Amino acid sequence: MQGNGFKVGAVVFFLALSAWYLFPSLQGLSLYDRLEDMEPEERVDYERENYARIETIKERSLNLGLDLQGGMHTTMEVGLRELLFQLAGDRRDDLFDQVLAAANMRSQEEGISLIDAFVEEFESRDPEASLSRYFRSEEITRRSSNTEVTDYLRAQVTDAIGRAMQVIRNRVDRYGVTEPSIQTQGNRRIVVELPGVDDPERVRRLLKGTARLEFRLMADPGELNSSLQRIINYYEVDIAAPADTMTEASEEEDDDVTEEADTSFDVSELLADTQDLEDVSNSLLDVLIPAGQGSVVFGEVSVQDTASFNALMADPEVQAMLPRDIELLYDANPSTTVGAEYYPVLAVNVNSELTGDVITDARSDFDQTTNQPLVDMEMNSEGARIWSRLTGANVGKNIAIVLDNVVYSYPTVIGQISGGRSQITGLESQEESDDIVTVLKSGALPAPVEIVEERTVGPSLGVVARQSGLTSLLVGLTIVALFMIFYYRAAGMVADLALIINIIFILGILAGFNATLTLPGIAGIVLTIGMAVDANVLIFERVREEQATGKTLKASVDGGYGKALSAIVDANITTFFVGIILYSFGIGPIQGFAVTLMAGILASLFSAIVFTRIIFDYVVIGRRGSVSFG
Amino acid sequence: MRIFENADFNLVEGRRRAYILSGVLLILSVGAIVTRGLELGIDFRGGMEFVVESNQFLEPTEIRTILTSTFETAPEVKTYSDVGAGGQNALLIRTVSEGETTEIQLSIVQAIVDAFPESNPRVIKTDVVGPRFAEDLKRGSLYAVLGSLLVIFLYVMLRFEWRFGLGAVAALFHDVLITLGIFSLLQGILPFSLQIDQAIIAAFLTIVGYSLNDTVVIFDRIREYTNLFKTEPYKIVVNRSVNTTLSRTFVTSGTTLLVVATLFTFGGEVLRGFSFALIIGIIIGTYSSIFVATPVVVELHNRSGSVNKAARR
Repeated sequence: MQGNGFKVGAVVFFLALSAWYLFPSLQGLSLYDRLEDMEPEERVDYERENYARIETIKERSLNLGLDLQGGMHTTMEVGLRELLFQLAGDRRDDLFDQVLAAANMRSQEEGISLIDAFVEEFESRDPEASLSRYFRSEEITRRSSNTEVTDYLRAQVTDAIGRAMQVIRNRVDRYGVTEPSIQTQGNRRIVVELPGVDDPERVRRLLKGTARLEFRLMADPGELNSSLQRIINYYEVDIAAPADTMTEASEEEDDDVTEEADTSFDVSELLADTQDLEDVSNSLLDVLIPAGQGSVVFGEVSVQDTASFNALMADPEVQAMLPRDIELLYDANPSTTVGAEYYPVLAVNVNSELTGDVITDARSDFDQTTNQPLVDMEMNSEGARIWSRLTGANVGKNIAIVLDNVVYSYPTVIGQISGGRSQITGLESQEESDDIVTVLKSGALPAPVEIVEERTVGPSLGVVARQSGLTSLLVGLTIVALFMIFYYRAAGMVADLALIINIIFILGILAGFNATLTLPGIAGIVLTIGMAVDANVLIFERVREEQATGKTLKASVDGGYGKALSAIVDANITTFFVGIILYSFGIGPIQGFAVTLMAGILASLFSAIVFTRIIFDYVVIGRRGSVSFG
Repeated sequence: MRIFENADFNLVEGRRRAYILSGVLLILSVGAIVTRGLELGIDFRGGMEFVVESNQFLEPTEIRTILTSTFETAPEVKTYSDVGAGGQNALLIRTVSEGETTEIQLSIVQAIVDAFPESNPRVIKTDVVGPRFAEDLKRGSLYAVLGSLLVIFLYVMLRFEWRFGLGAVAALFHDVLITLGIFSLLQGILPFSLQIDQAIIAAFLTIVGYSLNDTVVIFDRIREYTNLFKTEPYKIVVNRSVNTTLSRTFVTSGTTLLVVATLFTFGGEVLRGFSFALIIGIIIGTYSSIFVATPVVVELHNRSGSVNKAARR
């Protein structure tokens, strides 16, 4: 019986500790029950009065995974390739692009960091070459060694991810989610967990939006029109001139494009012509309705045809036919003609005159006359100066307001605008204008982010998952408990008691370590129920064997516990190892499974070895009673 | 109540029959894996999965045809039993299409609305895994599996002698291969998904841990009895060890099987493949502890010259 004082103390201590950690969760349950029963107004009042208490309970309660309460889990990756591009800026050359492309491929295939792959790839091409020619900053000069540049790049990556996290946190906070979780994973990923989110489309847009706001000049209508004709001709199968003479022609014409535009035939005429000739096919005109002359609009493309249009325009020769420094961007708003949605394609200068950094304030508003939602923006003094000069110099022309490479509006400048005010119009809804304001005000992401993994569970499915988890747990527990009593009689009851204590311990450990309970986590607990009795089974079988050799009950219990110990420990340690490995390599729900598996092993060892022994010792030695091992 | 009290089966002598059974199972499994392959879930292949709930019964094959014309590839469409009147009104749609999640989701909903205007389809669950992320998950899982096997091997080597280590690892490969083989054979036949995803990998590692647990208990007894009955032939000692632990082996496997069957029945769609793997794994794992791990130790013992002569017959 000696040493049992310590054992009893340990059991009481751990039970008390578990109770301490689980108490807020129980409070939470009764709180939610009470809130459910209240009338809406009563509920609001109650929540306001008890705000601090409710928050504490929520914070200390056992966390439920998104699969159990519904919500959205996304893993985002910061575009390091784009970041390197930006860092190199004008210094990059063909070699840089090649090395970066190769490094990007290697880093994806081998799972190594892009920076390492980039440096290795660069040095493998020319060991003598210096990386410092691409990067320049306060720390990096022409004489910086490659190691210094590598360190600088790594620091830039860490910094970019830190900033991206901050920006995302700002956006999530403005969106308003209770208890969001934003964490880094590895060296370039950010995991965002948003409980209760039921509008994933909106969140996706909000998280990914780089909010690169640009004010750009647009193509000269005459130049654009002649480009358009050349490109149409290029895709004309039968009546088109051979491609080489056409390219020559376009080179010659470069100087007097305006004249060429004036003398060119009207595109709509051409369209009419081609429609008359049935044997002529033009793959471009199949998908594009060309715009008329004198416009910054290239044409209109139906929603279904955007992919094929993009493919046609991606041809390098076609790209070369566009006016210098002009790219084609879609309008954010489709025009609805004859029932179908057509997106205008606009010819916009590739260089931006002014970017979103100059925006100091943004506000969601409505147009006084049309009642359309819009975003009002204010610029800082430098922005205001450039804006004023830009508008002054381009009266009568269009300026495109581009957000993340989509043109929201391209107003014609009526006169010089001073004071640094501007607007984004052409928005669909107030929700959209609100989100643009959020993204503009939370700052721009240092590099584009991509959602590489997303898991969304609707609230109704969360309820279903909670129910199936709970049912499995209760049914599993009942079946095993009944079996143990049936097979081992009184000793089985002791084992069942240990099993219940075991579950309290597991939940206590989860709450104590602030772990999250997921559905696979519950599966881990259910599995543990089956395996937890194993330690007791091993002991009880040993006790039976000892009894069979004619020993007294006391000697049998002693022998049983003593001899079973090494098998119990050996058998459980290996499963514990598996738990550690699963935890290190798994993600999300699988980690939840690993955590409960490990907690289950620790708890079951303790309850099966220490707790049951106390009971047997008390009954057999203390009370001189008898226990049936079946 | 007791089962196998004073059990005295000649399990070691019968090991040759077990070799045949295991051999056949292994050949079938490897054959199935090679010819039929394993179906990877979106965790490892990349892709998108949507659960769509609606107001009416939608025939999966019909929806599949409708969506095939929307996308270029044919998506996989199944009923999803957790919601919508016991799965009557919910579908799981799995596609490998790449692109914006929002757009694909909208085009699925649109296609269903166009065909069934009254159905009011709504997406209640999405799982999207990008190809690069899938690569990383695949790599992580591979490391997890290899790491577990290595750690387990080292541990058994440290705690027991090398023959036991080899026996245990042989049994583990046996279990995982056969479970994979059964997955390969039954995929498409059973009414639930047997795709290999992260949860299945977790199940496999749990099987590894469980099977080992079982093996270790027997090994522990062999170790104890070899010291206790030094004069008796090794085979007899081993046989006695297996027989005395038989009751425990069955009780523990039994309780674990019971709870895993509970998970399979009540755990919902998410846990179905996972608990199915565990059911198979526990049965195979229990069998292999007795008929694979232990016989390997006996064979190695017979062939090793360094063992005490009396043990060899």
